[in-house]
Amino acid sequence: MSIVIEAANLVFQPYVLLVIFGAAAFGMFVGAIPGLTATMATALLVPVTFFMDPVPAIATIVTATAMAIFAGDIPGTLLRMPGTPASAAYVQDAYAMTRQGRPEAALGASLVFSSIGGIFGTLVLISASPVLAEIALKFSSFEYFWLVVLGLSCAVFISPGSPARGLIALFIGLFAATVGLDNPAAVPRYTFGSVEMMGGVQFIPAMIGLFAVSEVIRAFIKRASDVRPPSTSGKSIFRQQATNLVTYPVQALRGSVLGTAIGALPGAGADIAAWISYAISKKFSKTPEKFGKGHVEGLVEAGASNNGAMSGAWIPALVFGIPGDSITAIVIGVLYIKGINPGPMVFITQPEMIYAVFIVFLLANVIMLPLGWIAIKGARHVLSIPQKVLMPVILMFCMVGSFAINNSVFGIGLMLFFGVIGFLMEENDIPIAPAILGLVLGPMLEQNFVTSMIKSDGSFLAFFERPIAAGLGLFSIAIWTIPLVLWLLHRRSARQSLT
Amino acid sequence: MRVTDLTLGLLTLLGGIAIYLSAINFHAIPGQDYGAGTMPRAIAFVTGLVGIFMITKAVIAGERLPGLQLAEWTRSGGAVLRMFAVLGLIVAYIVVSPLLGFLPTAFCVMLVAMLILGVRIPTAIIVSAITSVVIQQSFGKLLLVPLPRSDFLNFFW
Repeated sequence: MSIVIEAANLVFQPYVLLVIFGAAAFGMFVGAIPGLTATMATALLVPVTFFMDPVPAIATIVTATAMAIFAGDIPGTLLRMPGTPASAAYVQDAYAMTRQGRPEAALGASLVFSSIGGIFGTLVLISASPVLAEIALKFSSFEYFWLVVLGLSCAVFISPGSPARGLIALFIGLFAATVGLDNPAAVPRYTFGSVEMMGGVQFIPAMIGLFAVSEVIRAFIKRASDVRPPSTSGKSIFRQQATNLVTYPVQALRGSVLGTAIGALPGAGADIAAWISYAISKKFSKTPEKFGKGHVEGLVEAGASNNGAMSGAWIPALVFGIPGDSITAIVIGVLYIKGINPGPMVFITQPEMIYAVFIVFLLANVIMLPLGWIAIKGARHVLSIPQKVLMPVILMFCMVGSFAINNSVFGIGLMLFFGVIGFLMEENDIPIAPAILGLVLGPMLEQNFVTSMIKSDGSFLAFFERPIAAGLGLFSIAIWTIPLVLWLLHRRSARQSLT
Repeated sequence: MRVTDLTLGLLTLLGGIAIYLSAINFHAIPGQDYGAGTMPRAIAFVTGLVGIFMITKAVIAGERLPGLQLAEWTRSGGAVLRMFAVLGLIVAYIVVSPLLGFLPTAFCVMLVAMLILGVRIPTAIIVSAITSVVIQQSFGKLLLVPLPRSDFLNFFW
């Protein structure tokens, strides 16, 4: 108990609290700008943390990251420009809610359930991190392969329209992910002699192109006829979420649990978690037909999962010093600089520091509520700007955001290419979202597939020989085969009833 | 610009064949059967299957010839021009911004885009100017993104 009090004393200092508020505002600003990511916010803060003590340094990064991930939902909800691949999972519903005049309800759900997921993940981090980290480390390439397949399958099946069109979108994304040098044999693929293509297709310009530029093209075609969404409802943001919490408690809990569990797997992270949670939410919903048309249920579950995964990613980082994602990789570096060596021994040698980090996590997720409320109240005014003024400004933000990824106009070229592809895809009812997940998870799928094939000497049976891999594999296969079997049975019974 | 199911199926199948052919020369990891060509070939195989599935489904549904249905907006010359204009503006930014710098290029691109959409000239000028400076200050100065500089507007940096 004395350790917790000591840790609280380290955190509840005016300087640390001020730093937390400053970092929160910075994270909110970076996250809300399309093209800028939570990872970029973290990287930009590293030089600032050099001048700080360990606790405020970590507090800065943790708070900015949590805030940036939520703020990524703001352009997604208002303008259909998701800030992260994770928020792309539910952007269809969030944007549909905005068009129905309920942007505050969508953003409020995203805010409150992100906070709930984040707090849940932190509590798991505090209470069960060593146990979870042990399980996570048992995952080998076979289990990761099936986990990625599961995430990609969910993306195909939650998409509106036919699974065949969803698959086409997925393969566009997977094919784009094969471009460059990042492959098991390090052979340049589809680079056409371009040095920049060797670096592969970055997902941020591709995502901006597929979602935002295609929307801008459509607005230009319709001459942005000032189709304004209906006026927003006057209900309080938090009161609406109290209703959601009473209506969807199971979804919030399921999203938090699944998000934390997937987040704890090094390299898996929030992207897969949000997509699988959204798919599960749709599968077990009483009203699955409402998904994608402005229904809050998927947002509740995937939003909780998204931030739960962010906290979960810290489990292997703190317990073993293994980064779960790019943000924790940067943070591990900062921890070393500050003399905190992440690993099992840190819980014994510097327990007050670790507990201080835990308190900061809880604070960041609580502080997100009032600051998020302010951001939502401010951001909704974007919708009152006439479309014909807003669209050119969005186009410029898209170009600068794409440029900022590699500080090269190549990113803008990529954005343009994917903008045209996205426009053509939507004209043909091909969903965009699976292409994004294919692009993000393609390298992970390839790496784990090729590694597993080499390890097993080409035997597919090896993919089912380990218990967790077998379970995930059978589940993934069931997702594909059960609907097909049900469809065949349905056709057969329909034919019999006709004869 | 909507293609029929049969056309989409054919395009998907052709895409699968093209990916397979392009992957033939990708080498495996030395001493292994797998490598750079494994993933593209797997993608090609499943893409081809999806193409065949879509063609079969379209033929069963009665489609006999591939076709293209033009969307309503393609009949309006203005809409088609505006579509090409927005693509042209992005290309113009890519080409011109390294030469002229961010501020004048961004200003011109936004101004032209607003005028195309029918914004009044004074409003378009004011909004384009303010937005260009705000983006330059936030990205260029605060977030240290090396946006292309203009020699004659150095005092902004």
